[in-house]
Amino acid sequence: MALRAAVLRHLRVPIQTAPWRGGASLRLMSSHDDHITKDEVIDRVLSVVKDFPKVDPSKVSPDVHFQKDLGLDSLDNVEIVMALEEEFKLEIPDKEAVKIDSTHLAIEYISNHPMSS
Amino acid sequence: MAAPRGQRLSGMQKQVLSLYRGFLRAARSKSDKDRNKVESIVSEEFRRNSKEVDRKNFLYIEYLLRRGKKQLDQLRNPGTTGLSSLQVDLSKADN
Repeated sequence: MALRAAVLRHLRVPIQTAPWRGGASLRLMSSHDDHITKDEVIDRVLSVVKDFPKVDPSKVSPDVHFQKDLGLDSLDNVEIVMALEEEFKLEIPDKEAVKIDSTHLAIEYISNHPMSS
Repeated sequence: MAAPRGQRLSGMQKQVLSLYRGFLRAARSKSDKDRNKVESIVSEEFRRNSKEVDRKNFLYIEYLLRRGKKQLDQLRNPGTTGLSSLQVDLSKADN
């Protein structure tokens, strides 16, 4: 028993990178705190927009206007902002939500929001 | 009533979009199945009206807004799982 305890005391297993589900929520590399990096915000915003059924994913870039460039209408715009809310676990007030009409503004809003995760 | 590209939204358009957002938010609090059902009914209804309703028909749009707000209040009730009051009895189909 003493031997076992001694062995256990000296045994150290290196911590492996956890097999996190969904690369999108992987935040092991964030340097300081819990807040997500801007690069991650960009990636996740773009993937939400690309996944939107009416969107041609090849047209999506960090600076596209939902209606002018992607051919969406104002109802689609509401749906995209709602999808972003869910992706980043945010609640975006109406007043802000109406302003978000491009990937650029979505990225700015979300990366400046202290509660994005 | 879809906003013309790049143009500012009118007050009425804002109300419509805000109502739409309200419905989608309320739908989130339902079960997955009810949520999908509510979302498709709501989206269909808004899209249909956006094509069929003359954007200058303010009285009718105001009426639709009032009706929509009442339905949204109903939907926000935790016991409500569908939107039976919307035109045909869509929710009866599989309740």
